[in-house]
Parts: sequence; C-alpha cells; structure tokens
Amino acid sequence: MAVPVEEAIAALSTFSLEDEQPEVQGPGVWVSTERGATESPIALKMHSVIINHRLPPSSFVEYSDVSAYRLSLSEDTKALNQLNALSQEGKEMASVLYTYRSCVKALPQLPDSMKQSQADLYLETYQVLDLEMSRLREIQRWQASASSKLAADMQRFSRPERRINGPTISHLWSMLKLLDVLVQLDHLKNAKASIPNDFSWYKRTFTQVSGQWQDTDSMREELDDLQSLELDFALLFPERHILLRVLPVLVVLVTSSEKDSESLYKRVKINRLINIFKNEAVIPAFPDLHLSPAAILKELSTYFPKFSSQTRLLTLPAPHELPPPIRAEHDDFVIRFASAMNQSTDGSDVEWSKEVKGNMYDMIVEGFQLLSRWTARIWEQCAWKFSRPCKDASPSFSDYEKVVRYNYSAEERKALVELVSYIKSVGSMMQRCDTLVADALWETIHAEVQDFVQNTLATMLRTTFRKKKDLSRILSDMRTLSADWMANTNKSESELQSSQHGGEESKANIFYPRAVAPTTAQVHCLQFLIYEVVSGGNLRRPGGLFGNSGSEIPVNDLKQLETFFYKLGFFLHILDYSATVATLTDLGFLWFREFYLESSRVIQTLVAPYSPPHPGYFPIECSLPWMLVDCVLESPNSGILESVLMPFDIYNDSAQQALVLLKQRFLYDEIEAEVAKLVDQKVLLLGRMINLRSLITERINKVFRENIEFLFDRFECQDLCAIVELERLLDVLKHSHELLSRDLSVDSFSLMLNEMQENISLVSFSSRLASQIWSEMQSDFLPNFILCNTTQRFIRSSRTVPVQKPSVPSAKPSFYCGTQDLNSAHQSFARLHSGFFGIPHMFSIVRLLGSRSLPWLIRALLDHISNKITLLEPMITGLQESLPKSIGLLPFDGGVTGCVRLVKEHLNWDTKSELKAEVLHGIKEIGSVLYWMGLLDIVMREKDSMDFMQTAPWLGLLPGGDGQIVTSQDGGDSPVVSLFKSTAAAMVSYPGCPSPTSFHIMSKQAEAADLLYKANLNTGSVLEYALAFTSAALDKYCSKWSAAPKTGFIDITISKDFYRIYSGLQIGYLEESSQVASNSHERLGDSVAWGACTIIYLLGQQLHFELFDFSYQILNIAEVEAVSVIQTHKNSQFAVQGWESLLEAMKKARRLNNHVFSMLKARCPLEEKTACAIKQSGAPIHRIKFDNTVSAFETLPQKGA
Amino acid sequence: MARAGGITNAVNVGIAVQADWENREFISHISLNVRRLFDFLVQFEATTKSKLASLNEKLDVLERRLELLEVQVGNASANPSLFAT
Repeated sequence: MAVPVEEAIAALSTFSLEDEQPEVQGPGVWVSTERGATESPIALKMHSVIINHRLPPSSFVEYSDVSAYRLSLSEDTKALNQLNALSQEGKEMASVLYTYRSCVKALPQLPDSMKQSQADLYLETYQVLDLEMSRLREIQRWQASASSKLAADMQRFSRPERRINGPTISHLWSMLKLLDVLVQLDHLKNAKASIPNDFSWYKRTFTQVSGQWQDTDSMREELDDLQSLELDFALLFPERHILLRVLPVLVVLVTSSEKDSESLYKRVKINRLINIFKNEAVIPAFPDLHLSPAAILKELSTYFPKFSSQTRLLTLPAPHELPPPIRAEHDDFVIRFASAMNQSTDGSDVEWSKEVKGNMYDMIVEGFQLLSRWTARIWEQCAWKFSRPCKDASPSFSDYEKVVRYNYSAEERKALVELVSYIKSVGSMMQRCDTLVADALWETIHAEVQDFVQNTLATMLRTTFRKKKDLSRILSDMRTLSADWMANTNKSESELQSSQHGGEESKANIFYPRAVAPTTAQVHCLQFLIYEVVSGGNLRRPGGLFGNSGSEIPVNDLKQLETFFYKLGFFLHILDYSATVATLTDLGFLWFREFYLESSRVIQTLVAPYSPPHPGYFPIECSLPWMLVDCVLESPNSGILESVLMPFDIYNDSAQQALVLLKQRFLYDEIEAEVAKLVDQKVLLLGRMINLRSLITERINKVFRENIEFLFDRFECQDLCAIVELERLLDVLKHSHELLSRDLSVDSFSLMLNEMQENISLVSFSSRLASQIWSEMQSDFLPNFILCNTTQRFIRSSRTVPVQKPSVPSAKPSFYCGTQDLNSAHQSFARLHSGFFGIPHMFSIVRLLGSRSLPWLIRALLDHISNKITLLEPMITGLQESLPKSIGLLPFDGGVTGCVRLVKEHLNWDTKSELKAEVLHGIKEIGSVLYWMGLLDIVMREKDSMDFMQTAPWLGLLPGGDGQIVTSQDGGDSPVVSLFKSTAAAMVSYPGCPSPTSFHIMSKQAEAADLLYKANLNTGSVLEYALAFTSAALDKYCSKWSAAPKTGFIDITISKDFYRIYSGLQIGYLEESSQVASNSHERLGDSVAWGACTIIYLLGQQLHFELFDFSYQILNIAEVEAVSVIQTHKNSQFAVQGWESLLEAMKKARRLNNHVFSMLKARCPLEEKTACAIKQSGAPIHRIKFDNTVSAFETLPQKGA
Repeated sequence: MARAGGITNAVNVGIAVQADWENREFISHISLNVRRLFDFLVQFEATTKSKLASLNEKLDVLERRLELLEVQVGNASANPSLFAT
C-alpha cells in the first residue's frame, strides 16, 4: 500500500520545476488537518487569537486522548482545557481592546436647523455607544470570572494532600498563560485612554486573586519554571516573553505577606530576580505597547512594601542593539542548512542514512533557535525604542514620530532591514523544505523517544530504581504508554517483559525507526510522569525542579531525565514545523501602532484614513516598514538593495494578523491602502497577482521613450552644436538599454528611436532629427555661423542677433547620465563641443541620421543652393546694370592709391549697398553649404573606410592601388559565401543533422549579404556630387553670368561676367574689413570665398578672375611699386603707405582663393563632367557621366518625402 | 497517597499503544504524501505560470513588432512607385 504512493510521489520529482517561484497557494501543510498527533496549523491559525503570541501548540490541543492512557488525569485535563478556553477568550478580548478606536469623534453634530431632533440624535448616539460599552462591560465581567476561576484552579491543584493527579506541566503553563493574558489586558486597559478606564478594576481583580490565595505552594513551582529563563534552553521567544511578563506579578503574589516573603527569599535568591529584571528591563506586550517589570513592581509597591525597596535597583539597563555577528551567524547557517538539504536530495530513491537524518534534525533545531533569537531581538529592540522616545525631538513631533521616526538611527535602520531579510530568507528556506524533511524529523524524534524509553529507562529500572517500587512503577508506566515494541525486531512484548523481570538483558535494544512522532498527549503524559519521578510528589522541595539536594535519585539519572524532559518540550515545536516557522518569522508587529494612534490623536475617525491627504491623518512616512523601504532606497550603495521588497513581507504579516488574529477589517484596509501607496510610488499595483516583471518591463519601455523624447526636446531647444551632446546622451541611454535587456524584454532600442523620431514608415526618409537639423541649418546655422578655413570649424558670428529659442527643459538626473556627479562631469565634456561646429559634430550627424535620412538632408541642402542661386540672379543683374560700359585694366602709373580711387569710381554701387550685402550673404551661404558638404565628405570617407576594413576580408576584397578594389579570388564565391556553403554541405552530409534546411537557408542568406555589402562598397564623394549639382544649377544662368564674347577674343573692358561682379564685391568688403577693424569679415567669414570661387570655377571663369580681379591687379601694382622703391630709393614708398592693411587683406584673400581653386580642380575637374549619384535608398553610384542638368540629380529623396 | 502513574490496566494499554503506533504510521505516511502531492501541485502551478508569463512576454514583443511591420508594409505598398527602380 505504502510503496506505490511513495513511488508515485517520487516520480513527480522528475518534472523539471523552476526554483524560487512565488507560492500563491501557500505550503502544502494547509491541506492536512491532523489533530491529536501534531495539531494542524489550520487549527492554530483559527484558534490563536492574540496578535503577538501564537502560543506553543500544546495549548490548543484538547487532550481528548489523554484518558486513553489511564493515568487518572481526567480532572487535570478538564481544568487544563478550561484554562485554555479562558485564555483564548482573553486574547480575543485583548485584541478588541487593542484595536479599539474612539468613535466619539465620528459622531455627527447637528446643524442649528435641526435642533428639534436633538433628542433623537442623543438616542441614536446612545445606542451606538451602548454597543461599544457593552463589549467593554463584557470584558470586565470576563476578567472577574477568569481571575476567580484561575484562583480556584490553583487552589484546587495545589493542596498538599493531593487527592487528584496534577497539575501537569502543561497545566502549569496554561496557568501562566492565563495569568499573562490577565496582565496584558490590564496593561492594555491602562494604556488605552479611549476606553473608559477604571484603574481600580485592576486592584480589585488583583486583590481577588491574592485574597483567595491560601496556599502559595504552586507559586513556587511556577517560579521553578522561571528558572528556565536562565537556562535559556528549548524556549521559543513567545514563551520567554510570557514568562518575563508573568514573573513580576508572581513575585508580588508570593510576597503578599511578610512571612511568605521571608520564606521565598530563603529559596529563591533575590539577586537572581533582580538580575532577570535588570537584563530584561522592557518586555514587549503588544506591537506598540511594552511592559516594564520594574514599573509593575513599583505600581504595586504600596501593597507590598518589602519588595519595593529593591525596585530602585532596576532602573538603568543597557540599550538593545542589533549586533553585527548576526550576519556571520546567518551566512554560516544558510550554507550549512543548504548543504544538509542538498545532501538529502542527492538521490531521491536512496534511503537516507541515520546520520543524514540526525544532521537534518540538528539543523532544524538550530534554525528554530536562530530565528527565535533574531525575532525576539527585533521585538525587544522595538519595545526598547517605544520605551525610550527620541530625546532631542522638537515638540511639534507627534508621540509616534518621537518613538519611531526619529528614534532609529541610520545604522539601526540598516541593521533592522538586514535582520528582517535574514529572518525572512531563513524562514522561507525552512518553510520550503517542510515536506522534504518531515519524515526525517519524525523518525529522529521517534528514535529519540524509543531510545529513551526502551534503553535508558530499562537501564534505570535494572539499576537505580530496582528497590524503589513507587518510582519504578512510574518508569514502567512511561514505557507502557510510549514504547513502540513492534518497531523493534529483536524482541516481542512478552520477551521484553521477561527480560525486564529477569534483569539479565544487558545489550541495548536495536529498533527500526518508524516515521511517526509521538502524540501530544504522549508527550504530555511523559512530561507529567518525569515530573512525578523527580519531584517525588513533594512540592516543597527547595532548589528547583532538577536541583539535586535531598533527592533520592542519583545525579546521572537525574541528568538524563532532565535532558529528556526539556527535549520533549521542544519536540512539539518541531512536530508543528510550519506553524513554528510562521510564528518565528512573523514580523507583522512592526506595522501596528494602535496605541500611539490614539494617544497622539492623529487619526480622528474610523473611516478609511488614507483616502484624502489630510493633516489629521497618519503620515505614511512614520510607518516603520515605509521607513525601511526609504532607508534601502536612500542608501543605494550599501548592498541591501536586494532587500527592497522585504518590507512587503512585513505588510503581509500584519495584514494576516489584522484579518486572522485581530479580526478587524479596518486595519486590513489601512494596511492595504498603505501598501497600495507604497507600491504606487515604485510600481503599479493591479490586483493581487502581480506580474512584477511585466509591469517593470512596461514601465521601463515607457521611461525609455520618455527619455528619448526628452533628449530630442532638449536638442531642439539648443543649436546645432548640441548634436554631440545629444549623441553622447543617446549612447548612454543605449548602453543602459543593453544592460537592462539582459534581464527584461525591452523593445529594441533602434525601434524606439525610430518611433520617437517619427521615422517608422518605410517611405519616409526624413526624421524628426533630420528635419530639426535642416531647419536649424536654414534658420540659424547658415545665416549666423561663419567659417574659419584654417581650423575647419564654423563658429557663431558675434555680429548676429541671437535666435530666440524656448528654454532648455530640465529633467531628473536619470534622464541624462544617472547621478548628479556624472551629469556635471558630462556637462563639462559637452561644453567643449558647444561653441563650434566641426568634424566631431559631423560624425555625430552621420551616425545619428544614418544612411536613411542623410540623403534627404543632402538633397535639402542642395536645393538650398539652387534656390540661393535663383535668388541671387536678379540681384546680380542689378549690380551688372550699374557697372560702367567699360572698365579697362588698371594703369600701373597710378600707383596703389590711384588705382584704388579708380576702382571706386568705376564701381559706383554706393546706392546699392544693401543689394551688395545681400549678394555677399547669398554667396556666403552657398559657400557654407559647400564647405559643410566637404566636411561631410571627409567624415563619410572615414566611415566608409572603416566599413570596408570590416567587410573586405569576408567579401574577399583587397584595396588595390589608386583607390581601386581588387577581388582576391577569380570569379569564385567570396569567403563568406564559400564558408557557409561548405558548412551547410558538411552538416547536411552528417547523418545526425537535425534540420538541414536551416543550413541551406543560412548559406543563401550569406549570398544575399555578400551581394548587399558589395553593392555598398563603391561609395562616391558627397562633395563631388554637390559640386556637380551646383554646376548643373548654374548652367541655367550661364548666358547671363558668363556671356560669350562677340569677338571671340577675351573680353576685357566691357565684360559684365560674374567674376567681375565678384571682383567688385570682394574689393569692397576687403576695404571695409581693413578699415573698421575686421568688421565684415566677422560677419561673413571664409565661406564667401568658397561660394564665389566655386561659382567662378564652375562658370569657367577662373583664369579671367585671376587675371582681371581688381584686388589682384592692385596687388601686382603694389609689388611693382615696392620693387621700384627698392631700386630708386625714392620716397615713393609714401604711395604705398596707408594701404598696408588693405594689401594684407588682399593677399590673404588671394591665398584663400587659390586654395579653393586648387581644391576644386582636384575634386571637380572641368574637362569631364562626372560625379557620383546617390540613389534614394542611400546607395551611391560611382562616377557616372551626367548631362549637365538639374534633372539628372533628382534621384535624391525630395524634401516632402 | 495517590501517587501518580498507576496505569490501571497496563497490558491492555500497552497493546492499544502498539496498535496506535501502527495506525499512526499509516496515517502520517498518507498525510505526508498528500502534502507532498499538494506541494508539487503548487510548485507545478507556479512553474507553469511563470513559463506562461514569459511566453506571454515574448508574444507581446512579437505582437508589437508585427504591428510595426504591418504599418510599414501598408505604407510601402501605398507608394509602389518608390520601389520601381
């Protein structure tokens, strides 16, 4: 029967399951509802009522099976159950009290108009309040009855004559717990101001208890229990806190009379008590309430003068700190625990050895102890903080702020976060392996119990207890009620009995373990019996339960009994595995603050307090879990970032407490609201099942788009020079995208970029960025920037009016480079490129626009040139008209002065100075565009070479001489194609090839790639293309600007060709710039020369210009004059004097012009009108012969596209 | 004095205890395996959910990409002239 089940379950483990998945349904333990053996966690959840203390499992078991063991414990069991029922009720009451909120404030006030119904209102109000009050009255009644019942119970079971068996250990515990509940209730009543509180009630209850107290013997037993406080053995923290809370009351009770106290101090050293109180000065009672034993003693000191003298010793304790060794403990434990678990899961079908199981058991026990210690530490620190509000807080802070918000230092918060995450991680680790270890635990416990019962007891029976009939009878009872003989293959029951009586058996029994744990009732009875053996029925024995004095039992046996006794107590916790883990990792108390809410009056109504932001409501910043999240987020480098989701566990716990323990819906609503708010600031919350990953992905996608949008916005508010900065920032963004997409499936960056650039459509070639660059060039760059030929940079002219732009938008630091520091570093770098436009900017433009939008931009610029030429035409005609009929060569005898005057006389354009300026501007813009194309050409060349270097080896190409490209193989496939072809062939011929078609596809794709890359190799020059275009555009005006001489000879005097016009313009502006310190040059820069020389060159007038240009002629004259001056030594240098600066400017202009002409000759030889073409797709065609018309250039995308 | 202990019918109790051990072994065996089964189911569900979620994620991405491609194709086929070389 058993085997198939096990095999079937084991077979399930062959499924591959993913680790670390969230458990939505909770652990499997919820399905089992065993009672009796180990009680079910469900029962625990349903029954454990008090918020902060899930009591140890034994307290809720009904012990219905105890009677089966025939130990005449029925009276005891009955009383025990009664007490348990009482303390459960008490806890329910306590939670009502704790969560009680004053409802007086919520009562409506009547407006004056409704005065007549005042009486009705009072009636209604009374009814509402009466309901609340009746609950309080009920609590008072209960308190009275409970205390009297407790007193009666104690009396009954502690009579010296002992007519009934008992009290058992569990019974004593129940007494303590009930007492604890009473103390808590009292304390709560005192602390909660809104409850109509009669303090005298406390005294009355109290005197009632102590008054009925005849015999203080049982007190001593309980004080014995308290010694385990010092032993610190096998105790979980809730029990420890119970003991601590009850202790002062017990002390007070015992010392109620002078005589009693004398006798007490004989047996219990007062110093030990004082020490306990001193070390545990503050005991947590409720999440935000604490008890101080010293205070309790003080409060009662009027009744008990003897003890009060000691209380002054209890004042100055040390604060609670969360010490660093916890981290080492945690790391060590986690590693060992994981290795123990791995050891056990190695081979699922191999039976684990006994050592492995024992090891596992030890690990679990250690884990429980660690968890218990850590959680207790948090509780105690919490209570400590509540008891010591922040000293230097300003008076405006509320009480809760004083004890929580300003009371934790940064280190304390960090330590708290760390500790909480340790608890949670160890807890979940242990919770997860519940079913894995369950049978090993059972088996180990079974073995321990059987070992004790069958071996240890047998030995004891044979030796020590042989003579003592009474005691040996108890021991054999213990064997009877728990021994599992059938698991022992060596002996049957009869055999054993014979050997027992014979007493010859010496070797230890070997038994086969059974994976079954003893029942609670068995443990209960065993504990009772051991207690009986040890105490010998004598309750007045001094020195504690296992104290040796006056006992008839030898030390060794006593020791064994004691160890087993405490082990038994701990077995129950281990058997109740998951409930224990849940109790020990429950940190929900960190959220609760009912007491302070009331005392500081921050929440005034019962309605959901978080909905509107209102000064009266509880500020969320004060919430402890919230503070912890803040703490994690504010210290990003402290290595606790992974704990950022940890506070959700706290919320989870507190919500659980609110629903299951406190049963208060409004608390749950508040927690939910707070979590929603918390989550809302970080991520979006949609219902209960949150796919956090997809939410984050969604959010990140959105943020990326916002960021790109912002960067473009920012660029649009700056001038063209900011393109470098834009590229850098986009690079940063791209990099972070790359890093993020390792974990999240974020949209591809280029797609997002295209989307934000409105460049998705296949037929649109412009983009947001390209049109921005174009409009920027048109409106700002071309008119306002001037060229410096030497540095190859454009800079903003100082003479121009600044263009009005919207102010640069600002954004969070994360939209730039991340942090403030990085941003400022980046700023200083970006500033280097913000003052000019040069090669780096061109690189950025090329990279950002890519082959898609760049042709569009080029086309737009070329159109601009052609438009400018069209605009210039009538103006130039105007200038031509006002030239005199004939202008001859300048006479040498006039000297420089004379010639300049002569030129001025010829060029009587004074009335047309505006026209002149406009023509110059037009020429300058054409020059700027052409130079810009030159820069673009340089950059593209570099980029193309790079591409070539990368693709050439794959395509089998070699750079040959003279810019030619040589293929390395003759007519064969290129390396990339042959590589993939051979791979495909090899793979397909291999018999085990999974999908041969995919390899064929791959080799086809390689061929396609080969074709595509080869087509893109022979790139042409953008500059040559632009020059060819300009030449074609000029052809239309050839007749006007370059009239063919009628005579067939070169026309010197009457020519009105373009070169002549420009000669005039040039000498004019050279003169201007030499007179007023570099005036017009600052406005025009070097691009005028570029524009004019290009036009002259393309019109074929270069030689004319060089021969007949006015400035050139004047320079010649000046040269001749200078020579003659040297020759004659006359003072005719007077003639040149005054013209030095003009001559210098002319020389400069001549040098520049020569430079331009030589460049043009190289790039655009006039003898053959060839150029490259660029197709709409961006693919260039190299050196195609063109008819010299503009229509030949219409391959580029139009501006409208 | 009525001392504790004193099981009135020790042999019967012993037999009953023995039977109890065996019964409980069976019970705990069954219940543990039921719990394991449950644990497995829970884990299985979580695994399935996570796998479905990642599949969903991938589908989302594909869907968005497909939408984009559709728009592009629609756009391109509206202007066939541009692609005639």
